[in-house]
Amino acid sequence: MQELLARLKALDPNASLALRIIACFDELVRGGVNIHGLLGAAASLSGCVAGYAGHESARTLRVSPGGEVLKDGGVEKRVGALEADGMTVWLERDGPARVNDRMILERLALALAIRSGHTAEDPLRRLGDLLDANVDVEQRRAAAAKLGLAPRQKYRVATLPLFATWNQHRELLEDVVHTRFGPLHVCVLRADVKQIDASPCGIGVATGVDDLHRSFATALVSLRLCAIPEVPVVVADDYGGLVDLLAQCTIDRPLLDVEELESVMQHPWAAQTLDALLRSASIRDASRIAGVHHSTMQARLETIRGLLSFDPMDGIGRTRVGLAFLAWRVRHSTALDLPPPTGR
Amino acid sequence: MNERTLGSIEAVDRPARRDRPAFDPELRAGLAIVGGMFPPTITSDLIDFMRVSYAGPSVDTLIGGRSICCEERVFEGYEGHALKASVFRHERASGLRPGVLFAHSGGLMFGDRFSGLDRMIDFVELLGVVLVSIEYRLAPEHRDPYPREDVYAALEWMASHAESLGVRLDRLLIAGASAGGGLAAGVALAARDRGGPRLCGQLLDYPMLDDRGLTKSTRQFDGIGVWDRVSNETGWSALLGDARGGPDVSVYAAPARATQLHDLPPAFLDVGSAEIFRDETVAYADALWNAGGDAELHVWPGGFHAFDIFAPHTALSRGMIATRSAWMSRVLGD
Repeated sequence: MQELLARLKALDPNASLALRIIACFDELVRGGVNIHGLLGAAASLSGCVAGYAGHESARTLRVSPGGEVLKDGGVEKRVGALEADGMTVWLERDGPARVNDRMILERLALALAIRSGHTAEDPLRRLGDLLDANVDVEQRRAAAAKLGLAPRQKYRVATLPLFATWNQHRELLEDVVHTRFGPLHVCVLRADVKQIDASPCGIGVATGVDDLHRSFATALVSLRLCAIPEVPVVVADDYGGLVDLLAQCTIDRPLLDVEELESVMQHPWAAQTLDALLRSASIRDASRIAGVHHSTMQARLETIRGLLSFDPMDGIGRTRVGLAFLAWRVRHSTALDLPPPTGR
Repeated sequence: MNERTLGSIEAVDRPARRDRPAFDPELRAGLAIVGGMFPPTITSDLIDFMRVSYAGPSVDTLIGGRSICCEERVFEGYEGHALKASVFRHERASGLRPGVLFAHSGGLMFGDRFSGLDRMIDFVELLGVVLVSIEYRLAPEHRDPYPREDVYAALEWMASHAESLGVRLDRLLIAGASAGGGLAAGVALAARDRGGPRLCGQLLDYPMLDDRGLTKSTRQFDGIGVWDRVSNETGWSALLGDARGGPDVSVYAAPARATQLHDLPPAFLDVGSAEIFRDETVAYADALWNAGGDAELHVWPGGFHAFDIFAPHTALSRGMIATRSAWMSRVLGD
């Protein structure tokens, strides 16, 4: 995998390799992978032998980048040895330590500590705990304090795929958090920060520490509203209560107006047309926004009217079609799919 | 999202009901690293990117300081076109050795003769084989029959130049991975039907055998892992154009369509349970047995496509590699 990391860096210099390393060990811990497997991943990521010695058990294990267990030796090549939780972990290199070595060893040590039951608290889940409504509020407050968040301040959660493209990656409070969409990159921002120089990215509403799970939920919906390259970043504030509403409903289950809208969305012009109609007060405005002739817009609107059981331009119908369109965008989002690499 | 996890994080202890086998945990961790380099869904507009991204490593990297030498040769491909072949030998090998002809992976559209070659080169060291990896021509620029007939031409070249290549004619094996596995199976069929060089085995690693895309496994992994249904359609369309899935595809291009599977060399087939080629690989092994043939089949639980290439250090990959090596040793070893 070391070779893959190097190639990845060459293909995309802005790729965040550290995050991928975090996500990699996170998956290993979640999957209950044994010590041999954990060392194998570290060795494979670093391209050199990875080793571990338990202080109490006096057990030593060395694993090659190919995942093979090696006999004792290589002591003189140990670099960056890390001592924690009653064990020492190291890499064996011919030369000096490399840029990702420290990160690999830190994550290896954490994973080993969790695997061998040496650490009661799972530090990998600290940020995850903070954003999980199922975790006791006192525990969340404690997690917030450990992360340096002030109890009376407001914050907002931003979330991105691990494969987001960064223009500039500043120092952030960030981690990889597991969601039903797989591992995602999550950052906690001060309430006044409403932008991140990366895409796609969803930025949630500002909340206090106790309600950060709500900010996270709105960030997830916002992220799913992104569409590369047209909509690189979505800030939940721009949609206010609508995003909050979507965050609290089961979008992937049948929803009345959304099911009707599916037939409209079969038309290639539908997304652009609905977007224009919802952003404007008149059909004339809408045709200007969409860049089509007035009569074309009128014809499309008639097609939409024919497919829906309500008039999308009349009274409550506007609200219905607006909300249904947002829900449709979330449901059919491709923001969490790997971006097409050619554009990078 | 259910009520408990509403707008929140999925409960770890509550796995959702699945409609497909989950990836092995070590492999899932590997995907966190690989992601983006090999997109699960490859459409034709990604071919150029994949040709860069999936280019094989250098010969030095492949050999990695082992006592293996590489000789560059040129052979006549289909219609006499000059093509490159890399010939790997053990430096201390003497006399005639078993020969392996290898067709690389890459969905018929990308990859080169060094892509995914790491595991094959091991056999040069382990078994002293002469390994010939060839630069067959790729689709969509070169449609069927070019890729396979280039491989077939390489087989004839190996047989007719056995002496100068240092290859034993009684131990000639064809091997291929993924798209190359499909080509290898097609060449084995063609060699039988044309009275071509006699093969002592066919190594079909997670082979791409069926253009029809009708199996359950083909539809189980959309958008995840490595090589999904859409990628497969892209690859087969590149090879066959509009003929894909229709009645006019030859059994040599899509060996899954073959109904005459008698008198073929012993086959080794391996595949992951969590990849689209699972069903067609299992079906091909089954069809070989039904025709009275010799086949060994291994389905690796939770394996995505070509997982041994992407994450060779994992327990599952080491199992796959060791099992394959044991068969190769039985068929080719001294």
